[in-house]
Parts: sequence; C-alpha cells; structure tokens
Amino acid sequence: MNPRYVARDALRQLRNVRSVVFTFVVPIAMLLIFGTAYGSGSAVDPATRLPWLVETTIQMGGYGAMMAGLSQAFAIVNERSIGWNRQLRLTPLTGTSYLVSKVVAALAVAAISITAVVLVSVLGLHAHLGAGAWFAAGLGLWIGIVPFALIAILIGQFARPDFAQPLFMVTFLGLSILGGLWVPLSILPSWMGDVARAVPSYWLNRLGQLGASGSGDVLTPALVLAAWTVALAALITWRYRHDAARA
Amino acid sequence: MTSSPPIRLTGLAKQFAKLRAVDGLDLTVQRGEVVALLGPNGAGKSTTIDLLLGLSTPTAGTAELFGGAPRGAVVAGRVGAMLQGGALLPTTTVAESVALVAAAHRHPLPVAEAMERAGVTAFAKQKVARLSGGQLQRARFAVAIVSDPELLILDEPTAAMDVEGRRAFWTSMHELTDAGRTVVFATHYLDEADAFADRVVMMSRGRVVADGTPAEVKAVVAGRTVGVTLRAPAGDLEQRLRADPAVQHVEVRGERLRVATTDSDAVLRLLLAERADAHDIEVTARTMDDAFLALTAAETEEASR
Repeated sequence: MNPRYVARDALRQLRNVRSVVFTFVVPIAMLLIFGTAYGSGSAVDPATRLPWLVETTIQMGGYGAMMAGLSQAFAIVNERSIGWNRQLRLTPLTGTSYLVSKVVAALAVAAISITAVVLVSVLGLHAHLGAGAWFAAGLGLWIGIVPFALIAILIGQFARPDFAQPLFMVTFLGLSILGGLWVPLSILPSWMGDVARAVPSYWLNRLGQLGASGSGDVLTPALVLAAWTVALAALITWRYRHDAARA
Repeated sequence: MTSSPPIRLTGLAKQFAKLRAVDGLDLTVQRGEVVALLGPNGAGKSTTIDLLLGLSTPTAGTAELFGGAPRGAVVAGRVGAMLQGGALLPTTTVAESVALVAAAHRHPLPVAEAMERAGVTAFAKQKVARLSGGQLQRARFAVAIVSDPELLILDEPTAAMDVEGRRAFWTSMHELTDAGRTVVFATHYLDEADAFADRVVMMSRGRVVADGTPAEVKAVVAGRTVGVTLRAPAGDLEQRLRADPAVQHVEVRGERLRVATTDSDAVLRLLLAERADAHDIEVTARTMDDAFLALTAAETEEASR
C-alpha cells in the first residue's frame, strides 16, 4: 500500500472539475423535478416512514455516488489505453495500491456528490431531517459505494475502450432502475421489489434510508454489500493475476 | 552485488501467436555503458525492452537487472524507462504527472529537481494534452528519471522530435549520464546511434546481428560495394565470393556483378588475379542505411534458404 500515491491520485481526480460536476448535475436536476413535485410537505412513504422528499434525496444522493463509483471504469480504461498503467508498472506501486487508489478516488468524488445533493435538498427544497440523520444517511451511501467502485474496476479490466461506454451505460441504468434509485420501489410493481433485492444499488439505497430513519436492520444491507465487495475483489484479483501471467 | 551487470539477457525469447519477436537474445550491458539498440521497425527492440523491464514474461531464457529479477530493480527505483506509447494523462499537468510517479516511488528525487534535469520547468504547469511532441518526450523523460535510476531505458526517445529537439534532448541526457549511469536506448536513426552511444547493438528479426563500438559496427555494416562487369559468365567465382566471410552479399545481374563486402581490397585482388575479363570496376562506400538494409537482407536470405 502506498498512501502518498493513493492520496495524489484522488486529488488529481478531484481537480478534474468537469468529471466531478458530472456526478451531481443529473441527480440534482432530478431531485429538483421530483422534489418539487412531492413538495416539502409531511407526506410519508408508508414503507420506510420517511418523508417522500427525504427519500428522493437519498435516492439521488445514492445515484450520484454510484455514478462516482462506476465512472472509475472510464478512468481505468483511459489510463490503460494511453499506457499510463505501463508507466506505473515501472514503479514499486502494487496492483493492490492501484485498485485502492481508484476506490479512494471514487469515495472522494462521491463525498462531494452526496454533499451537493443533500445541500440542495436542505437549502433549496427545505427537506426536514435532523443534521445527525442526514449525516448518517450520507455516511451510509458513502461507504456503500465501495462495491460499485469495484464493479467499475472490473469493467476497466475487461472492457476495450470502445466497449466501456455501452457497458457502463447498461450497468449504470440497470442498477439505477432495478435498485429503485430513480423511482421509489414502493410505487412500482411488487415483483420489481423482489428483483431489486438481488442488486447492490437497492441495498445502497436501504443503507441511506436506514441512516436517515435511524432505526431498523442495518446489518442486512451491510452484509449484502460486504458480500458483493468480497466477491468482486476476488474476481478482480483473479483477473489481475490472469492478465499478468499472460503478458 | 556491485559486480552484477545492470543488464544480462540470456537466451531470451518471446513468441507471440505466430511471430517470434525475440529469438534467443544474449546481451550483457556493463555499468556506465551507453548502448544503442539499433534496428528497423519489427526488429524486436520494444519487445526486448518489455522483457528486460519485466513488463512481459519471456517464452524462454532469462532477463536479469543488477543480477536479479527485473521487478526487484524496478521496486528499488534502480531503473527508469521511457516506453513507446507510455504516455502521460492528458488532463494532468507536467508537474502533477511527475509528482504522481514520484509518489509511487520509495526514494524519489524532489519533483522540482527531476523537472529541472529534464528541462521541463518552463512548461511544468501546462496540461500534457497541450504539449508539443518534443515537450511531451521531455516530460516523459522527467517521469523516467524521477526515481534517480542507475539504469535508464529509452525506447525511441526522440521520436516525433525535430533535429534541434533531438540535439537538445541528447545534451541533457549526457549531463545526466556523466554520473556513471547506464543507458540503453532504442532507435532506428543510425546517426543517433553513431553520435550518442559508445556501443551499438544491431538487431534484426529478434536477434543481435552486430555488436560493438559505433566505429566497429560501422566497419561491419558500412563496408563497400564492388561493382564489376565480366565478359565471360561468372562461373565458380560467384561461389568463391559467397564463401568468403568478408563478403556479405553477391548480386548477379546479367554481366554485372555487385559484391557487398567489408574487405573490398581482397575482393579486388581476387577479381584482378583471377579474371582478365573484369572491367568497369567500381568501388563505392555504402551509407550506414545501405549497409543496414544489406545486412537485414542477408539475414532474410539466410532465413528463407
């Protein structure tokens, strides 16, 4: 592990303002559209007992955070195609450090994205929730994106540059819709809810909701996301060794 | 430990699907040498560099840096390299690029010093995407030297540079190598190998075809061509010439015989002694380029036989 490199790479990605803004522009636009429709009133989703506006804020925060995580795929594919990876392989940097740097960069960008969405909701739409609950919700979303950064790394490892874009779109849209990040699952057909439980984005959203409501079973989403993390990390390691052996 | 040469390649080979890119290469580079790997495109220079840096695994043979596995030398920061296509991130500035790679190393030079040595300080704050070809190569050079390596590997470092840029590049290179550094650079510019290396290793089809000082290699490759017209058929003369180790190439076109040789005197003596019908004799010095083509052609001929 090389913390200096990891920190520098995260900082470099944060300096790329355009790609950071990209992660929260669409979620904020959607938040403003849906949020205004719901109003800041006290209407509550019976399934989660959270105000609709808060629930939407969490969905959009999760959506932006997930984008921050998944968009690491582009960073990796890009770095691979221009040969930056080869340059890095001439340094003591290990494969693990490289992967950690992408996860940390994803977390750094996601932190900004989540904060921006929550700030717009609180300041612009006057969503009602205590500061502590907002913090817990944001923290849940933030930690929850680790497996998404790993999915991005996997895409980055597998995909050729021309194939990365469609693969990203399919993964991203699939996870957004199935996980209930666009439209609350409680207003969708019940079979969608069953499908949702299979995808990590559902549990990301749950983690945010549980943070906001401050009660409920946090263990299940945490365990599901941890299982995804372990499985993806194993797949990435296997793939990395496979590539190295073939070189 | 100190006696281990910076580079030792033994029976090194790399087979791609159908292509044997490197074919049984033996090469040892001693400390302080500046070696040019000279060869046309496809000679196996870049593959050799990948193998010796441990970026790819040999099909056969071994590549050792400082007496150990390449990765060990890389981790210790003892080797720096400018790879072909080893580009920098376009949205990053030169200074950030150097700092990123410095952060990955254990005992890097101060970033400012590496940039100063590579002559990139003037455009340190520019984005990589906005650099000229020559500036980009210098930025990559700064990245290559940031670990203060004892061994520098440069794969066609002056590609995309104009004559002036090339000269400036080699000047700063020489300032660096005065400190006893070992340098290996790949090039297909013959004049560059001649001017900047103290040893030239010529590669063709994945093998070493000549190895020596620039003067020696030039003597091997820059022989002369003897042209002669014979009234009678060449007969066994052609075979005798071919059997002469100093003769690299014999071409018969009608009555005209062209002999590429490193010893034109001997060829002339033989011709004049044996053939009274030899006339219109012409001896021309070959340029290095001609010689290089002849040598590669001879290789090809042998392979197809």
